[in-house]
Amino acid sequence: MQERMEESGLGRLPQYAPLANPYVPYQSCGAATYPAKRGVVRGTLFPGLDLPFLGMVNEGELPNLPLHELQALSFAITELGLYLDTHTDDTEALELFRRYVALYEDGAAQYQEKYGPLRLQCAGKNGRYNWLQSPWPWEYDAKQED
Amino acid sequence: MFVYEKKLQYPVRIKNTNPRLAALIISQYGGPDGELGASLRYLSQRFSMPFPEQKGLLTDIGTEELGHLEMVGAIVHQLTRNLTEEQQRAAGFDAYFVDHTAGVYPTAASGFPFSAASIAVKGDPIADLTEDLAAEQKARVTYDNILRLSDDPDVNDVIKFLRQREIVHFQRFGEAIQCLRERLNQKNVYYMNPAVDL
Repeated sequence: MQERMEESGLGRLPQYAPLANPYVPYQSCGAATYPAKRGVVRGTLFPGLDLPFLGMVNEGELPNLPLHELQALSFAITELGLYLDTHTDDTEALELFRRYVALYEDGAAQYQEKYGPLRLQCAGKNGRYNWLQSPWPWEYDAKQED
Repeated sequence: MFVYEKKLQYPVRIKNTNPRLAALIISQYGGPDGELGASLRYLSQRFSMPFPEQKGLLTDIGTEELGHLEMVGAIVHQLTRNLTEEQQRAAGFDAYFVDHTAGVYPTAASGFPFSAASIAVKGDPIADLTEDLAAEQKARVTYDNILRLSDDPDVNDVIKFLRQREIVHFQRFGEAIQCLRERLNQKNVYYMNPAVDL
């Protein structure tokens, strides 16, 4: 097992990198990750890639709303998916990916039961076609608590 | 195929309208380094990729960029909702208003409508992935510049998220080039075009 690359943000380059090639260091396997709820507000799950502009950072977590829970889980899945595209053999990351997928599937089923469909195929569940229910994702939701 | 999920990737909730800011943010919708160009660039480049890592990554990042396009559209929409007559006339927004009212149209902040000339599909994996590294950096700088110009905390919260994604994508594209090199003749990765000659 490789040593944990905590928040160092260091990766690895091949020892003999050929000339005339663009190089970005390869992110090491076993990198530390933020929990999904923190990762989503930082815009990455990986502390080593968390590189803000002029110290402007999003602190804290998303408000504790059911949709935000799903957004955090779904973000973690997206982020780990991209990571796994270039780190197909990282079993630890795959395990984390699978855990987030299970949590998301569970959460999405409960959410859709209570608040309405996220996908068209779930729009007729209670004998009523509720796909058109407001708000749509881009609309300002005045009712939502601050 | 694509399936719509009725939620944003990251919440957008802009309390105060600000049409002048919307007229700047619109650049990340349809400008030269915006999310429309990003999604089209990656989702188009993937067709000529010969190996699975690059096919997968371009599909996944291209799909995420479509989600970012929706988020940027949501910011512009919310910044321009229920405008007063005075706001419609606001300097910096009036030119957009006369052409598009409060609709969301893919254009650069400088007024140039979306152009496919701002993206490239060369059909050579190293050339295309190197273009993608540059594209992520240019989008990152546009978000930096928006952060310089905007003092709306609700907008900046989302912009910081989008900016950080560019950095992660840059990292992954760099790794995808390395995956590619490992599948080519390492002594001369330019020996042929694997999209054509394999």
